[in-house]
Amino acid sequence: MKMQPAISTVNLTKRFGGVIATDGVDLSVSSGEIRCIIGPNGAGKSTLFALLCGIHAPDGGEILLGGRDVTRLPAFRRVRLGLGLTFQTNRAYHNLTIAQNLEIARRRNSARVDSDALRRYQHAIGLFELDQLTDLPARALPHHQLQWLEIAMVLAGGPDVILLDEPTAGMSPEETMQTASVLRTLNGMGLTIVVVEHDIAFVREIAHRVTVLHEGRIFAEGSVAEITAHEDVRNIYLGRA
Amino acid sequence: MRLLHLVNGGEDLGRSRWFWIGFAAVILALVALPLYQTEFEASNASYYLLNIPLALGLSMLWGYCGILSFGQVAYFGIAGYAYGVIAGNLTETSWGPLVGSVGGLLLCAAVGAIFGYFVFFGRVQGWIVPILTLVFTLLLETFLGQTAGYQWRIGAVQLGGYNGMTGIPPFQIGNFIFQGYAFYFFALSLTVAVYFISRILMNAHFGKIMIAIREDVLRTETLGYDVRFYQLGVFVLAAMLAGLSGLLYVQWGNYITPSQVGLLPAALPVIWVAVGGRNRLLAVAIATYLLNWINYTLSEAGNQYAPVIMGALLLLVMLFFPRGIIVAIAELRWPWRRDVTPVSVQDRSA
Ligand SMILES: Nc1ncnc2c1ncn2[C@@H]1O[C@H](COP(=O)(O)OP(=O)(O)OP(=O)(O)O)[C@@H](O)[C@H]1O
Ligand SMILES: [Mg+2]
Repeated sequence: MKMQPAISTVNLTKRFGGVIATDGVDLSVSSGEIRCIIGPNGAGKSTLFALLCGIHAPDGGEILLGGRDVTRLPAFRRVRLGLGLTFQTNRAYHNLTIAQNLEIARRRNSARVDSDALRRYQHAIGLFELDQLTDLPARALPHHQLQWLEIAMVLAGGPDVILLDEPTAGMSPEETMQTASVLRTLNGMGLTIVVVEHDIAFVREIAHRVTVLHEGRIFAEGSVAEITAHEDVRNIYLGRA
Repeated sequence: MRLLHLVNGGEDLGRSRWFWIGFAAVILALVALPLYQTEFEASNASYYLLNIPLALGLSMLWGYCGILSFGQVAYFGIAGYAYGVIAGNLTETSWGPLVGSVGGLLLCAAVGAIFGYFVFFGRVQGWIVPILTLVFTLLLETFLGQTAGYQWRIGAVQLGGYNGMTGIPPFQIGNFIFQGYAFYFFALSLTVAVYFISRILMNAHFGKIMIAIREDVLRTETLGYDVRFYQLGVFVLAAMLAGLSGLLYVQWGNYITPSQVGLLPAALPVIWVAVGGRNRLLAVAIATYLLNWINYTLSEAGNQYAPVIMGALLLLVMLFFPRGIIVAIAELRWPWRRDVTPVSVQDRSA
């Protein structure tokens, strides 16, 4: 059975001056899927996310969110339609308390947070051990928990699809596996997850499918086993990751 | 009840019972001022007070939302001139000053909205905004400066070029004219009201979003907020508060000149706000009052270096108390202070 894509692109293209950061990308992530996006530095992974969520306007192509064309919508409208995103560098509000971070994240979208979304959020808050720390400024958190806070903030808005750009960067192997386990649980509760990740152990742990980006193009796509068995991908990308 | 909670939120100085007792004592001393000061001194105090709404607006715009403006005096001038024109033409009716005040505020809101619309909805880069606001106020000064001719007459009122507009009517409701002590009370109550409204606003969700935008525009937008809308909102609010100060200024002094929107007056509010502590409303209000008093005292003593001294003060404070001197004093470890966990939000950016 083929499900309707939660988020997809058609021939998506973005240039920065002479650099083609995104080159005719056709991506389709099914509802309920965990998709990992891998590729070497500068492959265009973050740019793809910036296009998906509306931070950059594409030079060509289309973006569909839940079947709806959102190509021309500003970022905040896409978020209100159920898209969430974390950045490659942590962008929780470091000077605000954890409670304030979560409150700001929750407030705007509170109308669209249904019981499933609320359950996912509360679940994550518990697993990330953020529920006891409300009055602490975010900057006082250890690195991995700061990463978790940003994920929790995104979940507070009740998204259907979340884009995570290297969520485990800088984490210890245990913390990375903990993150993987939380994401799997959230996915089991109905959340579609697209995640850019270098850590192949993490990818093995959670990915349903893997997309390999190279020089702005989709170089390969398939299950973890297919991708890791793929000779070129192995040589060129996994070796460097 | 909820309102009380918001008044006492963490986004401004002072939350303890002793703070509020001290606050009430200062307000009482200000209310009782006619008992121990002459009408002339009260009039000077009115002048120090009437700058506070402008400063509070800049504090919200810059200190809380991160948008620096050198152009607040433009709205000060727009409101002052608009009031002069409207009230000066409606001298037959006693409602002229009221209509002029409302007109001045509305004009500020409209100009602020148009300017803000192009800046924020055009997504002008943050660091260009202060320059644009400064250019706007200098253009206004230049424009007003060349209105000397007879053709620059609006009804019965002469704009007056660099000589400015004179004979602006004082504020009046019905037959009651606000002058001397009465004007002092008028300015005092407006200032206190603006302070409390601002404090409530900054402690409310709106204030949290201001801070969120200051901390990280992109993160805030990608949490679903239309950042432009909030930026425009606080910009218009600050423009209207600057307009309120402009209204009070012309109602107090009965004249205004283009130099009021010139380079030096444009820089002064930034100094008041920065020296006090830009993201603490009360610190800004106190600094505005004190610095205006110092400035007046210096220039009255025939000291033409008053601006230089103000500038030096800014430098020193920024060097040693980058978050503002009043804030620094307030955060000293007073022996009676027990609250050790700061729950409020601090802006640590340079
Ligand atoms: N705002 C920008 N302006 C100009 N060039 C950009 C911009 N953003 C990205 N690029 C360029 O686009 C290409 C793709 O960058 P992108 O950040 O998307 O790569 P990435 O796959 O996320 O890499 P990394 O693994 O290092 O995060 C790079 O060549 C980069 O230099
Ligand atoms: Mg990247």
